[in-house]
Amino acid sequence: MNASPVVELENLKVRLGRREILHGITCRLGVSGTGKAVGLLGPNGAGKSTLILTLLGFLRASAGRARILGFDCAHGMGEARSRIGYMPENDAFIGDMTAVAFVRQMAELSGLPPEAALEKAHQVLFHVGLGEARYRELRTYSLGMKQMAKLAQAIVHGPELVVLDEPTNGLDPAARRRMLKLIAEMKNEQGMNVLVCSHLLRDIEQVCDEAVIMKDGAIVHHCNLEEERRSNRSFVELEVTGDDGGLRAALPEIGAEGVPEGLGRWRIVLPPGVEVDAIWRLAGRQNLLVRKLTHRRDTLEEIFLKAMGHIAHTPGEGAASGVAPNVTAS
Amino acid sequence: MSVYKRGYRRYSGPLTGRWARFLVLPRYAWRRLYQQRLVLLLTILAFIWPLLCAGFIYLTNHAELLQGLDRDFREFIQVDGRFFSIFMYVQAGFAVFLAALAGPGLIAPDLANNALPLYFSRPLTRWTYALARLTVLVGMLSIVTWIPGLILFGLQVGLAGGSWFSANWTLGAGMVAGFLMWLLVLSLVAMASSAYVRWKVVAAAVSLAFFFILSGIAEMIDNVLRVRWGHIIDPAWAVNQVWRALLGVEPIEGPGAAASAWALAAIVLLLVVVIERKLRPVEVVS
Repeated sequence: MNASPVVELENLKVRLGRREILHGITCRLGVSGTGKAVGLLGPNGAGKSTLILTLLGFLRASAGRARILGFDCAHGMGEARSRIGYMPENDAFIGDMTAVAFVRQMAELSGLPPEAALEKAHQVLFHVGLGEARYRELRTYSLGMKQMAKLAQAIVHGPELVVLDEPTNGLDPAARRRMLKLIAEMKNEQGMNVLVCSHLLRDIEQVCDEAVIMKDGAIVHHCNLEEERRSNRSFVELEVTGDDGGLRAALPEIGAEGVPEGLGRWRIVLPPGVEVDAIWRLAGRQNLLVRKLTHRRDTLEEIFLKAMGHIAHTPGEGAASGVAPNVTAS
Repeated sequence: MSVYKRGYRRYSGPLTGRWARFLVLPRYAWRRLYQQRLVLLLTILAFIWPLLCAGFIYLTNHAELLQGLDRDFREFIQVDGRFFSIFMYVQAGFAVFLAALAGPGLIAPDLANNALPLYFSRPLTRWTYALARLTVLVGMLSIVTWIPGLILFGLQVGLAGGSWFSANWTLGAGMVAGFLMWLLVLSLVAMASSAYVRWKVVAAAVSLAFFFILSGIAEMIDNVLRVRWGHIIDPAWAVNQVWRALLGVEPIEGPGAAASAWALAAIVLLLVVVIERKLRPVEVVS
C-alpha cells in the first residue's frame, strides 16, 4: 500500500489579485489508498475552496508547494487528474446533454474506453439514484438531481481521490442523507479517499475521519475525529429565561465553558465525567428557568467553537488528545 | 445482468491514450453540431455553388458545347486563378455564416453552465480544450471550403489532363492554404466571441458583427483620411488580398499581400489572447 499523504502542503500561499487568500499553510492530510475522508471545515471565506482549486491546479501558488496524491499541483497534474474526481460547488453541467451522455463523456475524458464509459455511466447513475432519469436532459433536473449528477461524473472513472466542494448545498434533508450515505459508501466500500469541503459541521462529522478547520486563510485546527469521538466530550444546547449574565462566569465552577447566542440561548461544553444534571443545578443556583436543554455527544462543534476562538479551551483538555502534531499555520 | 442490479464498482481496466482522449470532445461536438437544423441546412446550401462551379468546369473542358459562343467569351471563361478566387470568395461567405451559427454553440454553453472546471479537472489542459474546439470548427468549415475546392481542382485536372496540373498545381496548393488561413480566423473569431459573451445567440451576432464592423471602420478610415491602408484592418479584405497573391490574380489597390498576411496574423494573435484569458476553470475577480 502506498503510504504517501493524499494532500501535502508546504508553506502554501495563494494570492488572488492583490489579496493573499492562503497564508502559508503547511500540513499533511490523509493517507492515500486507505479509503478515509478528510473534511475541510470553516466559515465562508476561510479559504477552503481556494485550497481545493489550488490542489486541482486551477490556481497557482504564489509561494510554497502543494502536492496531491504525490503529484505537484503546479506541474505534473496531467497524470494526477486521471486519478481524481471533482465535484464543484456551483452548478456545472452541459444543459442540453442527457445525464448518461454527459457522464459518459466525462468518463471518456478521464481515459475510459467508449464502451466501458457507457457501462460505467449507467451504473453510476443508478448508484446515485438517477437511473430512471438518466435519459433526461440535465437542464430539466432539480437542484438535488443536479448535485447527484455532479457526484456521478466525479466518481464514474473510479478515482483514487474524490474532491467534493460543498456536496450537500441546496439539498433537502432526505437528499442530504442520501448524499452523505453515498460519500460514506465511496470510502468504506469502494476504498476511495475523499476530501470534503463544507461549512456544515454535521456533514463533516458524519462522514469524515479527519478534519481540518480553516479560518482567514490558515489552518487553525487539525484533528482525528475518531480519537475526538473516543474522548467523549459532551455538548449541551441550553435555552433559559431570566438574567443569564452571570452564567458564563459560573460555568467554570463545574469545569464547563459556554458561548451565549443571545435571547437566553447557550452552547455549553461539558468536560468528561460531568453529567448534564450539573447544568440543571447551576441554572437553579442562577435563578434561571430552563426552557430547553439538549444534551448530545458532539465532538466537532466543540472543536469548531474552540478553533474559531469562541471558547478559550476545551474543558478537561488535558484528558483528551487528537491535535495532529504536524500542522502549522501562519 | 441488468445494469441496475449490478451496482457500482470502481473502474480498474485499461485507460485510453492521449490522442483518444483528445478526440472525445470533437466526437461529441460533431454529433451535437449536426443536430442543429440550421447548421445542416446552411451546409447543404453551401454545396450549390461548388456544384455550379463543377458544371462550369465541365463546360469549359468540352469545346463542342461552346462552339456557338462568342470567341471573346470563350477566352473569358477559363479555369484559372480568377475562377478559383471567385469560388473561394463565395464559399468564404458561407463559411462566415456557418462559423457564426455553429461556433458559439461549442464554447458558450460550457462557459454559461460552468462546465470548464469539470473538463479541466480531468487530464485535459486549456490549450487541448481550445484545440479540440478549433478542430471541430475547422473540420466543419473544411467540408464547405477547401474540400469541395480540391474536388473541383481534381475535376479540372481529370478533364484537362496532366499538363494543366503541371502548369497550375500552385492554384490547388494556394487555394487550400488560403482557405485554411481563413478558417483559422473564422474559428478563432467564433471561439473568442463565445468565450467573451457566453450567450449563444449574442455570441453569434458578435461573430458576424466583428467582420461587418471592421469592414465599416476600414472604409471609414480610408474615406476620412483619404488613404488606402485602412483596409488592412478588414480581415475579409486582407484575406482576399492574400488569396489573390496565392492564386496569381491581380491584387486590389491598397496594402500588399505581405502586409495583409501580417495584419491577419495580428488579428489571430489578438483572438488567441482573448481565448487564453477567458477559457479558465475559475474566474478571479481582483
